[in-house]
Amino acid sequence: MTKYASPKLASYAGLSGAGLLTALVFARPELVALTAPFLLALAAGLALATPPRLTISVELDESRALEGEDVGASIVVESTTPVDRLDLYLRLPDGVELRDGANPVSLHLHAGERRELALQLGAARWGAHVLGPAYARARDPLGLLVWETTAETRPELRVYPREDVLRRILQPRDTQLFTGNEVSRHKGEGIEFADIRPWAAGDPVKRVNWRASARRGDLWVNESHPERNTDVILFVDSFAEARHGDAGTLDLAVRATATLADAYIGRRDRVGLIAFGGILRWLVPGTGVVQLYRIVDALLDTQIVLSYYWKEIDVIPRRTLPPNALVIALSPLLDVRSVGALLDLRARGYDLAVIDVSPVPFAPRPSGGLDAVAYDIWTLRREALRHRLQSAGVAVAEWRDDMPLQAVLEEVREFRRYARHARV
Amino acid sequence: MITALGALAALGATVSYIAGSGGRLSTVGAAAGSAGLVLLGIGLVLRWPLTIPWSVILVGGGYLLAREGNAFVDGWAAVIGVLLLVGAELATWSIEHDARIAAERALVVRRVVTLAALVVTALVVNFMLLGTAGVSASAGVLLAAVGVAAAVAAVAIVLRLVRS
Repeated sequence: MTKYASPKLASYAGLSGAGLLTALVFARPELVALTAPFLLALAAGLALATPPRLTISVELDESRALEGEDVGASIVVESTTPVDRLDLYLRLPDGVELRDGANPVSLHLHAGERRELALQLGAARWGAHVLGPAYARARDPLGLLVWETTAETRPELRVYPREDVLRRILQPRDTQLFTGNEVSRHKGEGIEFADIRPWAAGDPVKRVNWRASARRGDLWVNESHPERNTDVILFVDSFAEARHGDAGTLDLAVRATATLADAYIGRRDRVGLIAFGGILRWLVPGTGVVQLYRIVDALLDTQIVLSYYWKEIDVIPRRTLPPNALVIALSPLLDVRSVGALLDLRARGYDLAVIDVSPVPFAPRPSGGLDAVAYDIWTLRREALRHRLQSAGVAVAEWRDDMPLQAVLEEVREFRRYARHARV
Repeated sequence: MITALGALAALGATVSYIAGSGGRLSTVGAAAGSAGLVLLGIGLVLRWPLTIPWSVILVGGGYLLAREGNAFVDGWAAVIGVLLLVGAELATWSIEHDARIAAERALVVRRVVTLAALVVTALVVNFMLLGTAGVSASAGVLLAAVGVAAAVAAVAIVLRLVRS
């Protein structure tokens, strides 16, 4: 606990000393009368001052919440000595706001008293937020001495991004070997009818197509498409973002990534994550609810970190990008490194779809002059960049914050449906 | 706002007493007191705690200037001293006050009671002091010794603070 004197103590002591000395020099009793109240306040304040012995802790009702939800918190303060005036302040990080309760608060504590101050916090933005520190400042009855300390506990509140509801998601071009919900293009054991072929030794009788066999005078069997799982890699570009106020492209990208991860894992697909930016993060593809939590937890730590290091796709571990995986990139296309990495992925034959999280709504067009011209050139360059990606056979759709994610996915789906696959 | 107005009222009352005292240098004293009042007003607006002791010095100095030439001890000095303390205390409260900090009602009441108790005690002590000074005016050595001891104690406190 740090102790220091308030400016009041120094000024009262100075006034008292100077007043009494002047009274002696000029032999004026009135001066003593002017000085005595300050000396009395000084003596009384110092005599009444007791160093506080405080225990402060911050507790959260829940350590996990969804964006927009309320979370209860409490500051528990206990003192073995009387504290005449105690100021308490819990520092809230960006993304967590106070919905109800008093913070900061000033209160009085008796000796041995325990107080629990209830706060209602709002999880305004996704992320891993560390609350605190909680600062405490105690004063003696006359405010001459001040003691300051901080709480040792700093609880973490993990706020998960709120997810959209998707009716349909992008289907990968190729499937993997394990059973899933995606109808494979290949033929094998499955439910979906694919074709008929002449009977061969070993074919089970239940697969014989009797109608076709009767017409052709020979045994023909049904072939079907097997249901397989797919590998989906969610590629989040965290090199740069456009932000205006509380909203930004990274927020949209993170929410969309969480939504897509939930949707694909619900289909028993293997989902991996690559956060490509100043800090490279990756998760090897996996399936199940545990993998979903892994992805969302990894997303919470995603942030824009300024970096000049030139990164290429080679820095990503090989196991993170399995062959025939669908790569869905969420990028504002602001950094040439991420654009280069996407083109590199496409060149390596990956099935790639790019959701261009548009930074344009976050950067209003200047009213006129050279700034407006520069803005127009920038938007034209963005269009040219999108066209370049489309020329390489990459499905690109621009996503603005006022559009539902489903609409963007449908746009990508339409492109993939009619575009020819190109080798670049 | 209430505390700031209270501080200004306390020092304002002192200045008006100085102006109406009718001493040889009462005009100069009132001018010094007014300067202290203005300084306190500026300090309250700009939240400068350093202006409080200087305001008290100016107003107290103004009072002493107004008393120049009067041989007898002024009984109202006890009240003037307490008014200076009230002004300083309320000004400190006003400058310290932060509207963002929600203070419990009981805490505010407790602070008012503490200040009132201090004021009453200071008033009693001052009256006793002036009474003693009047009785023992001839025995100046004792008063001087007590005064020096108090002054040394105040200086010692300042030194201790500087060291800590």
